[in-house]
Amino acid sequence: MSEVEVPETLEDRLTQLRALEERARQMGGKEKLARREAAGVMNARSRIDALLDPGTFSENGLLGVSTVFDEDRERTPADGKVAGFGLIKDRMVGVVSNDFTVKGASSSTTNMKKIGHIKRTATDRGFPLIFLGESSGARMPDNMGSEGMGTMLGNDPHQYARERETPWVSAVLGQCFGSSAWYSCLADFTVMRKGGVLAVASPALASLAIGQTVEPEDLGGWKLHSEETGMVDRVVETDEEALAEIRKFLSYMPSHNGETPPISEVPEGSDEAAANIPQILPDSRKRGYDVRKIINCIVDLESFFEFKPRFGRTAVTGLARLDGGVVGVVANNPMAKAGALDVSGCEKVTRFLVMCDSFNIPIIMLVDTPGFVIGIEGEKKKAPGKIINFMTALQMCTVPKLSVIMRKSYGQAYLNMGGGRNSDSVAAWPTAEVSFMDPKYATDVVTWGRDASGAEKEAIREDMERNSTYLGLAQIFAAQSVIAPQDTRRYLIEELKIQHLRRSRGIGRHKLANWPTTF
Amino acid sequence: MSITNVASEVIGSVWKVEMSVGDTVKVGDTIMILESMKMEIPVEAPVEGTLAELKVKPEDSVDEDQVLCTIES
Repeated sequence: MSEVEVPETLEDRLTQLRALEERARQMGGKEKLARREAAGVMNARSRIDALLDPGTFSENGLLGVSTVFDEDRERTPADGKVAGFGLIKDRMVGVVSNDFTVKGASSSTTNMKKIGHIKRTATDRGFPLIFLGESSGARMPDNMGSEGMGTMLGNDPHQYARERETPWVSAVLGQCFGSSAWYSCLADFTVMRKGGVLAVASPALASLAIGQTVEPEDLGGWKLHSEETGMVDRVVETDEEALAEIRKFLSYMPSHNGETPPISEVPEGSDEAAANIPQILPDSRKRGYDVRKIINCIVDLESFFEFKPRFGRTAVTGLARLDGGVVGVVANNPMAKAGALDVSGCEKVTRFLVMCDSFNIPIIMLVDTPGFVIGIEGEKKKAPGKIINFMTALQMCTVPKLSVIMRKSYGQAYLNMGGGRNSDSVAAWPTAEVSFMDPKYATDVVTWGRDASGAEKEAIREDMERNSTYLGLAQIFAAQSVIAPQDTRRYLIEELKIQHLRRSRGIGRHKLANWPTTF
Repeated sequence: MSITNVASEVIGSVWKVEMSVGDTVKVGDTIMILESMKMEIPVEAPVEGTLAELKVKPEDSVDEDQVLCTIES
């Protein structure tokens, strides 16, 4: 029970209330806050101030404290998690900001209730949830023993149910173990500040448990998560940049899955860049190019917001605007592994498709891939399963899907990248080449076991190449349109109008909404 | 004056080098072409300046993130 005595009169009680509120806003105390400031790291409250539109934060649970042990009541302001509601670009969001200066923002009874309230409200009332992560995990010794476990954890049967009713965002802004790690994995968009660590348990605990020194960066640093696990979407240098990235991400998103994303003004000059595509696309089919240059020529000026740029680089995914409306772009990138899709690329695309479909964002696929990467390495990582996850996700997407075959589209990858009836409409550039496999290898397959001469093989190969052009696709109506590369922007804008989900006012059926968040 | 390292984005080999040390480069100029997965991968100048050093030659194997050349701006 609290030892703080409550005075008699309303006036005195209000005075007391103001003092308690002021104390709570001091977080873990001046010294700890000064140390953070000296290190160039923001605190839980300054992060919220920078994230939200000025003066819009409406805090809940300011007077919450830990009540598990009486002595903690005085030293757990806001119980280490600052929570509430506010506006970003005039739209409501819920926010939980971990205060590492209070017991490492560890999880205990009161702050778990606070998170639950913000989450429930955001979901029920239809607005995004933002989780600013920096926490050490379950609070010790509060969670110890069978009674501790029975009291603290596992009492919310929906805590980890992710049904994508509203967008979730997470930032890794320091050490993120326990709930901060879990919420990062559950989010639609995760930004990480360099120096942050995202892991199941702390390096110190890991070292204790396995008897080896574990470096934080190796255990869960930005390189690991941006290049190898793909669990982080963007990496930034500072807290300020991380918060700006969250604001930017949300500018592409609807507040909830029952509405369409916001429409923006089309920046001047957006129609002009498409004329440059023929200069970017190499004449030689063997020459690589960075597909992001082509994306930037098609979408509204400077609107392309790439996800996971250093992970699964054979594919490029990102949100963009086309004529002011939001689209999700999935493209092969011939600069990485010749554009052949590998396991990481499949995972990246699958996760992106799930997000777009859940939030009513039409999908544009830009195709130039010789197929899937084959070989032992991929098979060990379940390549067939990853390919089919991707394929299943694509077929279950109910938002409009448009596919543009720019150059190569081979084999199963032709299907995965929206070929045939796997998108609502297929357009081909005159440079398109479509077949089951590269004619060079196909020639060996069809002449297998007989002694074909070099000249015969060459003739077969040339014949196959002739039969792989855009014309075949157009003549059998496997491509609904053939367009010049420089007309792609105009074509996509018109085609999106045709494919708009009129019957449901742009809202999809969200068949992927309860898919896992990590693949 | 600053030096910019230009690194390979892929594992592969150097197919041909299109510029020489001392040449002036503009952003987007192709400095060399690598070969990776039977695809020609152009290495483009990320900044304007002078090609200061070439660290590889044709047929050299290159790793991802390996510095291929430097540009002085």
